Amino acid sequence: MTLSTMLTTMSVGMLRSFAVFMLTLLGSLPLGMVVALLKKSRFGVVRALINAYISVIRGTPLMLQLLVWYFGPFYLFGMNIGNWRFPALIFGFVVNYAAYFAEIYRGGIESIPVGQYEAAEVLGYTRTQTFMRIVLPQVVKRIMPSVTNEVITLVKDTSLAFTLAYQEVFSLAKQISAAQTSFMPFLIAGIFYFVANYLVEFVMARIEKSMDYYK
Amino acid sequence: MILEMKNIKKHFGDHEVLRDISLSVDKGEVVSVIGPSGSGKSTLLRCATFLETIDGGEISYMGDCAVKTKPDGEVSYVDAKDLRRFRNYYGLVFQQFNLFPHYSILKNLTDAPIHVQGRGKEQAEQTAMELLDKMGIADKAEAYPYQLSGGQQQRVAIARALAMNPEILFFDEPTSALDPELTGEVLKVIRQLADSHMTMVVVTHEMPFAKAVSNRVIFMADGVIVEQGDPAQVFDDPQEERTKQFLRVFER
Repeated sequence: MTLSTMLTTMSVGMLRSFAVFMLTLLGSLPLGMVVALLKKSRFGVVRALINAYISVIRGTPLMLQLLVWYFGPFYLFGMNIGNWRFPALIFGFVVNYAAYFAEIYRGGIESIPVGQYEAAEVLGYTRTQTFMRIVLPQVVKRIMPSVTNEVITLVKDTSLAFTLAYQEVFSLAKQISAAQTSFMPFLIAGIFYFVANYLVEFVMARIEKSMDYYK
Repeated sequence: MILEMKNIKKHFGDHEVLRDISLSVDKGEVVSVIGPSGSGKSTLLRCATFLETIDGGEISYMGDCAVKTKPDGEVSYVDAKDLRRFRNYYGLVFQQFNLFPHYSILKNLTDAPIHVQGRGKEQAEQTAMELLDKMGIADKAEAYPYQLSGGQQQRVAIARALAMNPEILFFDEPTSALDPELTGEVLKVIRQLADSHMTMVVVTHEMPFAKAVSNRVIFMADGVIVEQGDPAQVFDDPQEERTKQFLRVFER
């Protein structure tokens, strides 16, 4: 197998890794905010459920969670899971990352001084306006470094999709390496992850810089 | 009568912070509230501005009742939507300024008039620039709060409150967070407002200022109004022993 064939084969895997990455971000970034807000709900039952969810998600391996989401419907309800592989994969990733993002958001929201809320209240802002106009923009700035960390972890975690036999770049690398007795696929995969994260760092640094105009 | 507070009671746990306090403020009056820390001065302002809920009593603005206590002791506030209407009556200047750090100075002054009061952007900006000019910081309109000194930030906070065109302005120890050399510029601005007959209630530790600027001084201790009256009388000829004791500390 020539290097270019290897690259072509693996580039399909790269795209598939990228798909998991993007869909997970699109789902978990907003879902995390919903979870963070529900965690501050005035209903004790809601708070308890959210705490349990975050606890379980953070306390068990993502790999295990993926297997549960995929096989669970079959073993528990005898459902046909023929077309469920990819949805289960994305669902598992989103639910997992939302828990982590929720905790980052919560930390950010709680770091905003109470004086900001009071100033907004006295000026007559509604609760929604206070959150959207005063609190959220400041939260976003404060949590960027933690979010960057999490996004970088996600790039590498996409390799866990192999658990559900999803052919992302890392599982392809293993297969090709075994078949061709070549070390090259691993090197290519390594470069892929590194470059992807380099891009993440670059983009996130730009976003952070765009919020540098205030302290 | 702009503000009328009747028989206000407030406690935090077992601690009674306000015991049956009544306070009325007429249009154009400048009232200074002095007293030792823990006497309930700030809590009184926070109750007047609905940042704290009262445990008994009645609060009205312009004859419009926001909260009252039924004979059975149940305190009833108007609902949240109506309470926001009351926010148009007053402004509050905090000890810690509490400017919005992510907004420019100009936007700090225009955001609430535009998005809360529904004023036009152009008109709001014009009002804001006039106010900044009065405060002597028109050149800072495009700056951000962190770029300003404490004294300048507090003047912006005053302008932000005035931009809402309130009937009455409350100050909660407006110079306590400032370095001594910066208090003067803030007090000067408040004095100008007093001269233009802005109705104000100022909680302060600046005795000479309270004496010079206010029409009425209220001395509070342990959650009650111990003494009140004309500044010359309260400062130079206090009647109550508690007042004398407090003022002696400042004479030294």
